[in-house]
Amino acid sequence: MQLNRLAWKNLWRNKRRTLITGFSISLGVFLSVTFTGTGDYGYTNMIDASATMGLGHVTVEAKGFNETPSLDKRLKNSEKIREQIITLPNVSDATVRIMGQAMFASASKSVGGSFLAINSATESEKINLMIRAIVEGELFDENDGRGIVIGSIMAEKLKLKLGKKIVYTTTDINGEIVGEVARISAIFKTGLDEVDGAMVLLPIDRVRKTLGYTADESSMITVIISDQRRAEELRDQLTTMINDPETEVLSWQQTQRDLTGLITIDKTTNYLSQVLVGLVIAAGILNTLLMGVMERTREFGIMMAVGMPPSALFRLVILESFWLAIVGLIMGVMITAPWYWYLLEVGLDFTEMFEEMGGYSAGGVLIDPIMHIRLFKESIIAILSGVFILTLISGLYPAWRAVKTNPVETLKTI
Amino acid sequence: MRLSRQLLGTIFCLLTVFIPSHINAAIEPPSAESVERAREILRSIDDLWRGDSSYAIFSMHVKTEHYQRSMQMEAWSKGKDKSLVKILKPLKEKGTASLKSGKHLYSYLPRTDRTIRLTSGMMMGSWMGSHFTNDDLVDESRMEEDYTPAVTFEGVRDGNDIIEFALIPKEDAAVVWGKIILTVFAKSLLPIEEIFYDEDGIETRRMSFSDYKVMSGRELPAVMRVTPTDKPDEYTEIIYETLELNVDLKDSLFSINSLKRRR
Amino acid sequence: MLVRFAFRNLWRHRHRTFVTIAAMGLAGSVMVFYAALMEGMLFDSKRNAISMNSGEIQIHAENYRRDPDLYKRIDNGYEIVTKLQQEGLNAAPRLYGFGLAAAGTSSSGIKMSAIDVDYESRVTEIHKHVMRGEWISKEAPNEVVIGRKLARTLGVDLGDEVVIVSQAADGSMADALFNIRGILKSVSEEVDRAGFYMNTDTFRKLMVVPEGSHEIVIMPQDHQFNTLDERLAQVKSHAPGLEVLNWQKLLPAIAEILEMADASIIVMILITYIAVAMVILNAMLMGVFERIREFGVMKALGFSPWQIFGMIMLESQIQVILAALITMGVGIPLSLYYAEHGIDLTQFTGGFSFGGIALDPVWRSLLTPESVIIPVVMLFIIATIAVIYPAIKAAVIQPIEAIHHR
Repeated sequence: MQLNRLAWKNLWRNKRRTLITGFSISLGVFLSVTFTGTGDYGYTNMIDASATMGLGHVTVEAKGFNETPSLDKRLKNSEKIREQIITLPNVSDATVRIMGQAMFASASKSVGGSFLAINSATESEKINLMIRAIVEGELFDENDGRGIVIGSIMAEKLKLKLGKKIVYTTTDINGEIVGEVARISAIFKTGLDEVDGAMVLLPIDRVRKTLGYTADESSMITVIISDQRRAEELRDQLTTMINDPETEVLSWQQTQRDLTGLITIDKTTNYLSQVLVGLVIAAGILNTLLMGVMERTREFGIMMAVGMPPSALFRLVILESFWLAIVGLIMGVMITAPWYWYLLEVGLDFTEMFEEMGGYSAGGVLIDPIMHIRLFKESIIAILSGVFILTLISGLYPAWRAVKTNPVETLKTI
Repeated sequence: MRLSRQLLGTIFCLLTVFIPSHINAAIEPPSAESVERAREILRSIDDLWRGDSSYAIFSMHVKTEHYQRSMQMEAWSKGKDKSLVKILKPLKEKGTASLKSGKHLYSYLPRTDRTIRLTSGMMMGSWMGSHFTNDDLVDESRMEEDYTPAVTFEGVRDGNDIIEFALIPKEDAAVVWGKIILTVFAKSLLPIEEIFYDEDGIETRRMSFSDYKVMSGRELPAVMRVTPTDKPDEYTEIIYETLELNVDLKDSLFSINSLKRRR
Repeated sequence: MLVRFAFRNLWRHRHRTFVTIAAMGLAGSVMVFYAALMEGMLFDSKRNAISMNSGEIQIHAENYRRDPDLYKRIDNGYEIVTKLQQEGLNAAPRLYGFGLAAAGTSSSGIKMSAIDVDYESRVTEIHKHVMRGEWISKEAPNEVVIGRKLARTLGVDLGDEVVIVSQAADGSMADALFNIRGILKSVSEEVDRAGFYMNTDTFRKLMVVPEGSHEIVIMPQDHQFNTLDERLAQVKSHAPGLEVLNWQKLLPAIAEILEMADASIIVMILITYIAVAMVILNAMLMGVFERIREFGVMKALGFSPWQIFGMIMLESQIQVILAALITMGVGIPLSLYYAEHGIDLTQFTGGFSFGGIALDPVWRSLLTPESVIIPVVMLFIIATIAVIYPAIKAAVIQPIEAIHHR
């Protein structure tokens, strides 16, 4: 305890030095919070946004569908499995869908594209980007009706308006070519050309009839969870629960590889930046502590001469670095808190910049023009312990130097 | 669309009859009476064209903005949903064949000696470079199922006694058109012209018939010409050279194996 | 005299000097390495976007891009290519066509790309991007290279046969049998899913397109794409009546992402500099303030304020020079090592694409003169600024005050 007080006092013998070092630590905290916070927020945002583009956080699908999607790969018992999934903790939504390719034709033209057949009772704009992006009309509410929701670019290509008919042709489970007619009940505009030009929503029961699926078959169950980080955990849980070799459970990391790649590279850059900045700050801390030790060789010599064991001396210097870390953290929290709060509540608005560029997407996901910040609990712990460990490690060498002090030698020098 | 069947060699199977009225005339809801009368006439037209099987040789001339080509083809048909077409000329493409069996459409490619089944993605592609799509060929003639007919005009137009029908696709029919106007001669019930409109009543393509002559004991139009309305300089024309009706054809003719067979 | 003094002072406090230099050197090395890594990432994304497939500038017939059809061709493609080459630009003509590929019972829509190997290899690097097998060759006119997802959809592998069907320019049925010569790595979504590469001559015969090209891809001979307006104008002068676009227009999404990345990298580097500045400031302040008594004594011995100031400045410059040497000695080899070996991200992600352009999962640094010069210059500037305040303080201090200074 006494050693502790001594360390604290020592720290304040040179206020300026301690404050500057403390400030550099707090700068580290600040940067770490900003980098990690934008990452935690941004990735979650992107993953959640991407999850609403069709594949969710976790999907349950027929084996092999992800690799080579085709309409003859069907998931059986899908409604029953959905019922089970929806009761699980952490699952915020689950919905049954059919996904396939089709040709869409009007009297003037035809285009290729893909359809997502959905159950209007279990879908909502919260879990479906295309429903959210409807600009005209409304989502069909009959699952065996003739509604269709198409994108603005496809509507333009086919020269079709709300209420007009569109004929789609696809291949059923027997490999037969089947055609159906639908009327446009809504038009969406997501801003993503590849979605607006090639994706449509169809009512699931109608599609089941067209394709020859039973009322219980589908391509997949899309599961949305409240915390994207639990996707892999849920995947494993569902795999065990369903326990069927014909069924595959995949997380977004597996179904949305582009996004996974984008996040990986961004995370790597982010971590690397933090490590490098941390290294620089560590060099600063080391510098401070080492100088502090070297100035006091005489003092240490006396302390050792009066019987202080080297281990206590070592502990003293480590304690100094410990208190330095505390000071740095307190300063860090002081300067970071208002900034964090601002980003959390208000955010940085890049709307104008994005508008200039005409919308912004990465990895096929629309990005929110307002940058917010959010830290996971784990990240806060990681940052705090990171700073602590960094400081303590920086203290090791100076502490070792202090122990090496030869009391007789130091006392000789003037 | 029905047209396709004829294209495939059966000039008969159903009909596609009827004259254009004034083009953009909006269609009023047909009265029950006119629908019944239209059905009756369509049925007799159907009878007129009915035949179990056919064999034909015809030539096809295609003119587009970019190319012009002529082909001679040989065609067989049996029942409603079996037909086979093989190219005779030009030599370069000789042997290329299309087989329609039920709802499937296969192409045989002699150069590579491969048979390909067309997928839904190709249905809207052009058939042999013409103005017909593959879908036109496959499309069953479901005139009666898919359309509600109505007689919209009967009497003399341009010196001919004609009947004009409007065919309105039923709500559930997988048909892209908004309506089809068909004109036939009142007496012979032979088709004169068929015009396709989109849902806004804008004409998109037109098929006309001419050169009526007796073939295989029946009077039929030997020339059929399709023109896309937005490209008036383009057309596809089919001219029948030989037509035999009710010939004896084996089912095995309409198999994938016979696609490859050279005659 | 001052120089000697400065050296002697540094030597007297050699521990402190060493620690200061080491801290600055480390900070400098980090800046060099970081800058090189960021340059490397930007360069790679750009190179992937541009060199891989699209080139720096492309020429098309008007409207071809909006509505690509077989007939919208550049008639005198080879003439334009020859002219551009005479002026020091590499150019390659290409042709495209759509069709259906089938193997066994599987089939898929394809986008055929007809490549003139001799020209293309000087312009883009797609030939280096073959995952398995080999790039197309004039010696093997019936062999094609296809995208990886297409290969999976068709269920084909190297050496397997693929039939393709399309409609030739004269309206006739175009069909041919090809063998798979190579399968590409991830290039872009479109190429992965539908890319089908063949020789130009093969395509011309198949599609009955005896002449003309759909696209001319242009790349400066040194592969330094900076997209000057003059170059665009230069190309335009050879392509009257045709659409000439640079890569920013061809790949607007990529151009935006790169712009954003550029901006965020500058922010990141600035932040690193701030951290470095803190360290240097601290080192310099400590170095001077803790010796203020010493300076007081020197003043008492008759040193002028200017001499003190000059001496401190000299000391700091000597330290920075040594730190700069460390910076270069550590930062450059480190960057070069990672330029060679890269940071392998394959374990986290397979090949992946970033806004539609495939990225190499191995992240390499790129050592440019700027990534060394800027950190070193910054080192000098930061150190000099950091030392000015304590140096002035030391220069003007009264000896009495200095002796009591703590």
